[in-house]
Amino acid sequence: MLSIKNLHASVEGKQILKGINLEIKAGEVHAIMGPNGSGKSTLSQVLAGNETFEVTEGEVTLNGDNLLELPTEERAREGVFLAFQYPVEIPGVSNLQFLRTAVNAMRKHQGKDDMNAAEFMKLAKEVSKQVDLDPAFLKRGVNEGFSGGEKKRNEIMQALLLQPKLAILDETDSGLDIDALKVVSDGVNALRAPDRAILMITHYQRLLDYIVPDYVHVLVDGKIIKSGGRELALELEAKGYGWLGVNDEATASH
Amino acid sequence: MKSASTLSSAFLQSAGQALPEPLLALRANRASALTDLLLPTRKTENWKYSAKHLKLTDEMASSLPLSASAGAAADIQGYTVVLVNGVVRPEASNYPALEGLSIQRFSDLNGDDAELAADLLGKSISDQPAKHGSINLSLLNAARFEDGLLIQLQPGTVLDQPLFVIHHTSASHSGSAFPCILVAAGSNSQLTLVEDYVSSGESPVMVNTATEFSLGDGANITSVRLNTEGQNVQHMGTTGVRQQRNSRFASHSVGFGGTLRRHDLHVRLEGEGAECKLNGVVVTQGTQHYDNHTTIEHIAAHCNSEETYRNIAADKSHAIFNGRIHIHQDAQKSNANMSNKNLLLTNGAEIDTKPELEIYADDVKCAHGATIGQLDNESIFYLVSRGLSPRDAKVLLTMAFINELVAQIPVEQVRDTANTGLNHFFDQAFQEV
Repeated sequence: MLSIKNLHASVEGKQILKGINLEIKAGEVHAIMGPNGSGKSTLSQVLAGNETFEVTEGEVTLNGDNLLELPTEERAREGVFLAFQYPVEIPGVSNLQFLRTAVNAMRKHQGKDDMNAAEFMKLAKEVSKQVDLDPAFLKRGVNEGFSGGEKKRNEIMQALLLQPKLAILDETDSGLDIDALKVVSDGVNALRAPDRAILMITHYQRLLDYIVPDYVHVLVDGKIIKSGGRELALELEAKGYGWLGVNDEATASH
Repeated sequence: MKSASTLSSAFLQSAGQALPEPLLALRANRASALTDLLLPTRKTENWKYSAKHLKLTDEMASSLPLSASAGAAADIQGYTVVLVNGVVRPEASNYPALEGLSIQRFSDLNGDDAELAADLLGKSISDQPAKHGSINLSLLNAARFEDGLLIQLQPGTVLDQPLFVIHHTSASHSGSAFPCILVAAGSNSQLTLVEDYVSSGESPVMVNTATEFSLGDGANITSVRLNTEGQNVQHMGTTGVRQQRNSRFASHSVGFGGTLRRHDLHVRLEGEGAECKLNGVVVTQGTQHYDNHTTIEHIAAHCNSEETYRNIAADKSHAIFNGRIHIHQDAQKSNANMSNKNLLLTNGAEIDTKPELEIYADDVKCAHGATIGQLDNESIFYLVSRGLSPRDAKVLLTMAFINELVAQIPVEQVRDTANTGLNHFFDQAFQEV
C-alpha cells in the first residue's frame, strides 16, 4: 500500500530525512521508534504534505500513485490520515462543523452525497463514545481548551470518522495516563482492518503493549537502521538505543 | 503640495422646498454655518486615513433626481419604508397603522411634530461642531436633506416585526443623496430598525446619511445597518443616540459595498442604568476603504457599554477603527468594554485601529483590547490535512473570527444577506490557485 524509497527531506536547509526506505502492506501495523530528533515527526509531516518540509530526493507511492505530487487535501481524500502529535486549537470553529465538513469533503471525493446535520450528529455521537469523549465536546471549538488526552482522543475520533487507508499516528501515546492510553489504544485497534495500514510513531515501548505491531523499525538520524518484529521493541526497551550504537542522551532524559 | 481646498459652495445649495418651516430654518442655518469650511486633509486627525480617498466633484454636488424608480420591492419579512435618493416613496412602502406608532415623512409634518424633528436633528448637530478647523462631513446632511422620516413610538409601544428602511440610491448620473431618519422612542417602547443601503447605476455618487435615535426611560431599540451599495458609492453616515434611564440600545453594523465608507456612531448614555451594545463587522477588498468611528459617552452613573468590532481586509483594501470611550466625571460605576480584532488576509491590505479612552470618574471599570493578525498556517494545514480544500479551511477560520457577531444579528433576513455577502467576499478573497 505505502512504499517509501530513498526519501530525503529538509527544513530550512537542514537535512532531516536521509534516505528512508519502507514498505507497508494493507492490513499491517508498523511502528517506528527512535530517539528525539531522529526525524520521526518529520516523516509523518512529509507524508501528510506539510510544505514546511522540502522533499529533496526519493519517492513515496500510495497504492501505486505518486503521493508527493498531491496537495495535502488530496492526500487526505485519497485516504492518508495523520493524527497530530500536537493537535491545533481553533477557537470559534465548532468541532462538529469541522468534522462534518471533513467527512463531507471525503464523501464528495468518493462520489457520495453529503451527510445532513442530523445524520452526522448521530454518527459523531456514536464515535465519540467509542473514544470516551463526552458528546458535549462536539459543540466546543476544535480542540479549544481540551486537555492533552482529550486532544489525542479527538484525533482518533477523527480517524474513526474518516476511515483512512493509511493512518499515521504521531506520538499518539505521549501525555496519556494509563486509562487514556487504553481508550486510545482501543480506538486504534478498532481501526485495524485488512484494507488499512497503520504507521505508529512512538518514543516508548509501552504503547506497543496495547497495539501490537507486525513490524518495528528504528529510526536514527534520518535513516532506518534496524527493522524487526515485535520483539525488537522489547529489546530496545531493555537495552536502550545505545545498544544499537546510538548516542542515547536524548532518550536518557525521559 | 496642494493646499487644502474648501467645500464647494455647490454642495450647500439645498433643493426641495416642501418642508415645514422649522426644518427649512434649520437647514438654511446649517448651510450658512458650513460655508467656506475646509475639506479634511490627511492632517485632520479624524479623517487622517480617509481624506485622500474623498472625491467630491462639482458633478456630485447636485441632488440626485427624485423621479428615479423605486426598483423592485424586495421580499421583506417586516414593515418597510422605501426612500429613493433620500426622498420617501409612500407608494413603495408597506406598514400597517399601528396604535402608538407614527411614521411620517418630513414634508407631512406640522406643528409639534415639525418642532420635534428640528429639535432632534439640531441636538445631534450641536454635539458635533466642526472639528480641527475643517468641515465635519457627516454634518452636511443637515444642510442638504430634502426629506426624511420621523418615527415616533408612544410609551409602551412594541413593534412585533422589524421596520426596514430601504435606502435606495439610483446612480444613473453623478450626484448626492441625503437621507435622514429620526426616531423618538417613548418610555418602555421597543423597535428593531433595519437600515438597508442599496444602490443601482454606475455613476460616482455620494450618500450622506443622518440617523438620530432618542430613547426614553426603559426604551429598547435595536439598530441594524446593512451596506451593500455598489463600488461607485461614497457613503458617509452618522448615527446619533441619546439614552435615558434604563434604556437599551443595540447596534449591529455589517458593511460590504462602496468605495469609501465612513460611519460615525455617537452614543450618549445620559440616564442612569442605560446600556448600549455596539457590534460591527467590516470586510474590505479590492481598493475599498472603510473608516468606522465610534464614540460612547458615559454621562450618567451606572451605565454599561459593550463594543465589539471586527475588521477583515483583503487585497489592497484599508479598514480603520477608531473607538472612543469618554467617561464623564459624574459617571461613577460605569462599566465599559471595547474589543477590536482585525484580520489581514494579504500583505497589501492595511488596518489601523485606535482605541481612545478618556476617563474622568474614579470608580469605573473600563477595558479595551485591539489585535491585528493573520490566518494561522498551522491551523490551515491541520484543516487541509483532513480533506478540506484550502479555500474551505480559510473560510472556516475567517468565519470563526466573526461568527459570533453575525449570529447575534437579530433579523434572519439580514443574517442571510450578510452570509451571502460574506460568501461572495470569500470567493474573491480566497480564489483557488
